[in-house]
Amino acid sequence: MGSPATIHSPDDGVLRVGWTGARGSVFRLALITGFWSVLTLGFYRFWMKTRLRRYFWSSIRPGGHPLEYVGDPWEKLLGFFIAVVILTFYIGIVNLLLMFVSFSLFDGNFAGYLASVAGVVPLWFYARYRARRYVLGRTRWRGVRFALEPGAWGYALRALGHWALTLFSAGILWPRMTFYLEKYRTDRTWFGSARLHQGGTWLMLYRAAIPLGVTLASTALWALWISVLDPILPALSVGWQDVLTNVRITTSALADLQIVSPWRLWLLFPIFFGLIYSLIHYAYVSRRIMACHKTADGIAFASALRPLRIASILTFGNILAYFILSIGVALIMVLMVPLIGFEVLQDMAGIEEDLVFDLPRWFSIGGAVLLYFGIFLLWSVMHATFVTFPLMRHMAETLTLPQAEGLLRISQRDRDDFAEAEGFSEALDLGAAI
Amino acid sequence: MTKRGVFFDGDRPEGVPVTLSLPASANQLRMTPAEGDDIDWPIDQIRRIPDHAGTHDTMLRITSDPLARLYVPQLADLPRWPHIDRADPPKGRGRLALWAAGAVAAVAIQIGVLIPILADQLAVVIPRQAEHALGEATFQQIRNALGSDAIGPLGLCENPAGVAALTAMSDRLSATLPDAADINVFVLDHPMINAFALPGGFVVFFRGLIDAAETPEEVAAVFAHEMGHVVGRDPTRNALRSAGSIGVLGLLFGDFAGGAVVLFLTERLIDAQYSQAAETGADTFAYDVLERAEISPAALGDMFQRLRDEHGDQSGVLAHFLTHPTLSDRIDRARAAAPDDVTWQPVLTPAQWNDLQNICD
Repeated sequence: MGSPATIHSPDDGVLRVGWTGARGSVFRLALITGFWSVLTLGFYRFWMKTRLRRYFWSSIRPGGHPLEYVGDPWEKLLGFFIAVVILTFYIGIVNLLLMFVSFSLFDGNFAGYLASVAGVVPLWFYARYRARRYVLGRTRWRGVRFALEPGAWGYALRALGHWALTLFSAGILWPRMTFYLEKYRTDRTWFGSARLHQGGTWLMLYRAAIPLGVTLASTALWALWISVLDPILPALSVGWQDVLTNVRITTSALADLQIVSPWRLWLLFPIFFGLIYSLIHYAYVSRRIMACHKTADGIAFASALRPLRIASILTFGNILAYFILSIGVALIMVLMVPLIGFEVLQDMAGIEEDLVFDLPRWFSIGGAVLLYFGIFLLWSVMHATFVTFPLMRHMAETLTLPQAEGLLRISQRDRDDFAEAEGFSEALDLGAAI
Repeated sequence: MTKRGVFFDGDRPEGVPVTLSLPASANQLRMTPAEGDDIDWPIDQIRRIPDHAGTHDTMLRITSDPLARLYVPQLADLPRWPHIDRADPPKGRGRLALWAAGAVAAVAIQIGVLIPILADQLAVVIPRQAEHALGEATFQQIRNALGSDAIGPLGLCENPAGVAALTAMSDRLSATLPDAADINVFVLDHPMINAFALPGGFVVFFRGLIDAAETPEEVAAVFAHEMGHVVGRDPTRNALRSAGSIGVLGLLFGDFAGGAVVLFLTERLIDAQYSQAAETGADTFAYDVLERAEISPAALGDMFQRLRDEHGDQSGVLAHFLTHPTLSDRIDRARAAAPDDVTWQPVLTPAQWNDLQNICD
């Protein structure tokens, strides 16, 4: 059989993960499949997703051999239909009843929306787990299947519990949630006959939360500085004594407002960017730490992803995508003028003119729908090209398997054949992520 | 030069380096490992894995084995086989069709039967306060949908003299109702020739309808018709139905077309297609109210008649009461509902009518 040389890199016994994807190919594939999705009123999206995944998966090359995505668009379509049959009764009737109760008891629809969202949350976790199980079950490397054991309800239950704990502890137990949910998933993940194990403890993730802690602490200090220590509006400042005795600020106090060192308000910008960065830092560094503690029999993982690089991909990728999107939208609008007439565009923009009479209303609706689809298409193409592509490339290129001799003891596992594929996640709109 | 590949047997994640050859005699691709037996793949069963990232290499499979793979680093080493990109024959299509039909049926039953039944039940028991809140929320939603992002929701016409005239008309009609239903009437600054009713006694005219009317009696006739819908709680049923349907349709289209669906349903609220019975009911109610308010019920017929003459039966921008198929019947019925031997009182004075026409100024 194969010599170890085919598995390890010749020099150091470390199995590296390579990447062969090309940005131009992703752009082309996303554009073509997105175009078909629009033409088929969205039904081609199952093919779009499958084909993009095939491309991305085959770009990832652990030890020089591509991953393979064997998911079938037809089974996704079937899964979607199954989810629709099951969910339609729940969503329709429940929505209607919630609206009714909300208006009857609270005189508004806000409570209804809230309850409607709250009712879907457990389903959301359930669907997330099922979707992951489907994707892993359709992923192979060197001909051997990955798998995730069944356990979606257990996952949903734990996720709800961990979220409750995190909220009650004001976020202090967030790393605990991150760790245990990832452990739940990892410990149920298989590659062939090998089972993955998540090692380490939840306390190790506090390291990833350091920037977040620092940012939050400095935000608090800043707020203290401009409101109490050296108030930016001294006339408005209320000492602790006043707060306790509940003194009202009179309008006469507002009259002689005096602003002290207003430049300090500019510090809001670094604070804002600091918060965004530290959230990204936490999300990805915690992933890196946990990846380095994942093992299987004779296999170890190591990730060296760089949070700064990830943050810049997310920032510049999204900015670029939005920028090109806005140019594209402007272009579509210009192109639509000779096609459907200026009046319709004006009508769509809500500018009232006396000429709406001449065109049937479905016509302007058609224009709006076309525009909407166009935006959707552009956005998904830009996002795949400038966010998903560099992100996956970075994740792949920074992942290694320092120990991989355990691969020699692995053999194939049975196919995980479940009918609804990722239908629930698709129906509940969780499918946006690759 | 030897042609190389890596063979995966579909059981263990170990690549076996093989030498590739095409024996002249058989129609096969032969893989020769360093040790062990040769592996032969019939060429007509070899397929390429689609959407492969990489321009030089490729991954091959064989139709008779779902797991075995052959990795070929140099695609150019192989001849171009015609069947290599052919798709597998479809399987499980019957099951797919069954579930597709099931999904369509589930949505149809839900939107066409269950939600309407439930909405009809709830519309009767909904507290008045709640109905009003529902109407307010829906009205805001419609104004937002017709307005623009830059300017904000669609403007109301609130010229005080015009509002006073409209209130006078509203009071005259409301006075004929048995219990004091509270009617809130608004005019939206939009050229559409339409009027609609919302839950909780909201009656909303578009400016276009007031412009199109030649006498105040015609406006009053449309007003009475919409009051008929309010009293029949038709808009409440409609709003509750769409609350249920939005969820179901959003589910069906996903985030792909969810926004378009909401747009469509808002459209539906304005252009509410009530059942024929509800329309006839509202018409009958209108004749009754108009007659008791000493306004000729024929005015409703006049309004219909002229709008049809000007814009035709099928014009899409026209209001829901015009697109109704039995418009001629309704014109006739409206005229028949007006007794000959009664003297009618004008609903507004000429000055008031002038104020109403200028309500948007």
